[in-house]
Amino acid sequence: MFLNKLVITLCLCMWVSQAGASETLHFVMWKPNQPELWDRIVGIFERETGVSVIREIGPHSSTAAHALVTQKLKNRDPKLDVFMMDVTWPPEFAAAGWASSLDRFFAEEQRQDFFPGAIRACTFRGKLYGIPFWTSGGLLYYRKDLLQKYGFDPPTTWEQLVRQADTIVRGERKDNPALKGYSGQFKQYEGLVCDMQEFVLSNNGRLLDYESRKSTIGLPANLQAVRFVRDRIIGKIASRGVLTYEEPESLHVFIQGHAVFLRNWPYAWAISNDPNKSRVAGLVDITVLPHFPGGQSASTLGGWQFAMSRFSTKKQLAWTFIEFMTSPRIQKILAIDASQAPARKSVYRDPEVLEKNPHFAKLSAVFENTRPRPAMPLYPLYSAILQRFYHKAISHERSPLEKLAEQADDQVRYLLQLQEEAGM
Amino acid sequence: MSMRKAYSESLTGYLFLTPLLLIIVVFSLYPVVYSLFLSLHRIILSLPSLGETFVGIDNFVAFFTDPVGRNSLMVTLVFVGVSTALEICLGIMIALIIHESFRCRSVVRAAILVPWAIPTVIASQMWRFAFNDQYGIANYLVYGTNVAHYDAWLASPVSALAVIILADVWKTSSFAALIILAGLQTIPDELYEASKIDGAGAFQRFFKITLPLLKPAILVALLFRTMDAFRVFDLVFVMTQGGPGDATNVLQFYGYRKLFAEGMVGYGSAVSIVVFLLVFSVSIIYLKFIGTGILEKKEARA
Repeated sequence: MFLNKLVITLCLCMWVSQAGASETLHFVMWKPNQPELWDRIVGIFERETGVSVIREIGPHSSTAAHALVTQKLKNRDPKLDVFMMDVTWPPEFAAAGWASSLDRFFAEEQRQDFFPGAIRACTFRGKLYGIPFWTSGGLLYYRKDLLQKYGFDPPTTWEQLVRQADTIVRGERKDNPALKGYSGQFKQYEGLVCDMQEFVLSNNGRLLDYESRKSTIGLPANLQAVRFVRDRIIGKIASRGVLTYEEPESLHVFIQGHAVFLRNWPYAWAISNDPNKSRVAGLVDITVLPHFPGGQSASTLGGWQFAMSRFSTKKQLAWTFIEFMTSPRIQKILAIDASQAPARKSVYRDPEVLEKNPHFAKLSAVFENTRPRPAMPLYPLYSAILQRFYHKAISHERSPLEKLAEQADDQVRYLLQLQEEAGM
Repeated sequence: MSMRKAYSESLTGYLFLTPLLLIIVVFSLYPVVYSLFLSLHRIILSLPSLGETFVGIDNFVAFFTDPVGRNSLMVTLVFVGVSTALEICLGIMIALIIHESFRCRSVVRAAILVPWAIPTVIASQMWRFAFNDQYGIANYLVYGTNVAHYDAWLASPVSALAVIILADVWKTSSFAALIILAGLQTIPDELYEASKIDGAGAFQRFFKITLPLLKPAILVALLFRTMDAFRVFDLVFVMTQGGPGDATNVLQFYGYRKLFAEGMVGYGSAVSIVVFLLVFSVSIIYLKFIGTGILEKKEARA
């Protein structure tokens, strides 16, 4: 009896896989926060095209997902057609010959609707290797009730932010002794690079000189920004604990009502305004990050893109899938049902979207001016050097900034040499 | 006839050994040799156009001249030195206590082994929470409800390394105790009785009888602990990711980062070969001591 069933099931399975064999796509993505959303949008694609999409779900963290995807591409796995790419991967994947150029599918004028920063991040040496799915950028979250109580407007310079934080923390000490002025991501990991880049670039600093291919970590403007973080933020308006925080820990402090300001990504909006999770729901607002005098606010670009494996044997079909997933229609579902920030600008003008997510109106202004992290094939190595430098620089009160920067610049020089030798 | 018998006997012996040898070759020898091969090449995953050039010992030279590499070696040596020393001392104390007979001794013995039985990843998470700057129990124990003074233990170089050493000591002292307890049980009671009659005090008995006779057991515990300590990874991975500012960037974690996150296959392999050589030479030195220790005992008996 059992055997019979087993045989029938096996036959059915074989029939199904036979039937689908001509039209299947292999898609590798990281473990999403909203799996039901993915079931839905991939389901629509399957129903409308008759193509079956075999999804392989990788780990949640970007670094771990990177390890999985690169392993497959290194082995030229034919069972990989489409994959998701983090915003810092395209140069590496292009240089290694893993990602397929999408220029022949995606015309210049089609790119106009996407945020320019997101498109730039997908471009390496003039060719496009990914289509942005959702985009992201650093934002300043603040307690509008506290700012109002002390008569402050949202700060536009870092100096203002520090002063406001100091005043509010001093004033609230009796009622809320655990209150700190600022919370953010300063652990030695990728997020530190994002946060520090926002300080450095908003002081007219520059990390890499693309023309002369030089490392410029030790430039005075850069070091001035780092010194500000070390002397005025860590252990001052922020607890020293931020040196151990990634996104969740920094957000936790904020939603407990223990921070006036928080630097985080757009995902934190929904959580900090959810009364079940947050003690400050309804008291939170967002604005662009502050800058230094003479500088401009800089928000680090984040987000995920669709890419095509160079070893895919079904490139046309793969493109159909990518085109569908990045179409305005799916982007709208993404915005309304998942509160994720779509990469297409037109979605932000859609009344239905704005009704569900009024804060999107502000986000769109931020995404117009996001700044990518340096685009280079050896980015993981570069990031490790920066993480080391920044963390050493800001975790000691009297760290030898110039000397540390010199060491870091030396290490970057070696890495640039390697890239040059490889013809990059 | 007897020759043939001996021959077939040794053949059977080798036959029985084959599976074990195969396992050693496939799972131990091959990876080590392959790592050595990789460590002598420059292989960078994201720059395939550079190819896989043979560079001799360049990766090792780079490791020993790179301040990051040297720092990571120093951090590892400090970790190994301090944690094994503490673990052996604590191990001896625990062993002495659970060697005595008292009520509920078996319960105490089992309880002492609990930390060792917990998977390291989980124990590391526990310690990370305990030393969290916002809700960690460590802050509560030190500062009570005075939240304004709460410290971020894992944010300062010295205390972060100390916390990781503490977690390791907490977790593995009981393992050292177990081995030392086995050694304690082999010491005949007559020796203590005789020395008592001769008028030796508790300290004399410990330093003249217990400690010398425990030497082989202590060396075995030291060997295991040192080897393990050189390979510390999970504690750092979960608790600090090498921070703050590389203060806990132990060799195994550094090698892992180089290999898997940065794609520097040659350099990363060189780091793991350095760890291998360190562990290998330390174990040879210990084994030499253990060997002579056992030999002395045999001679004494003869």
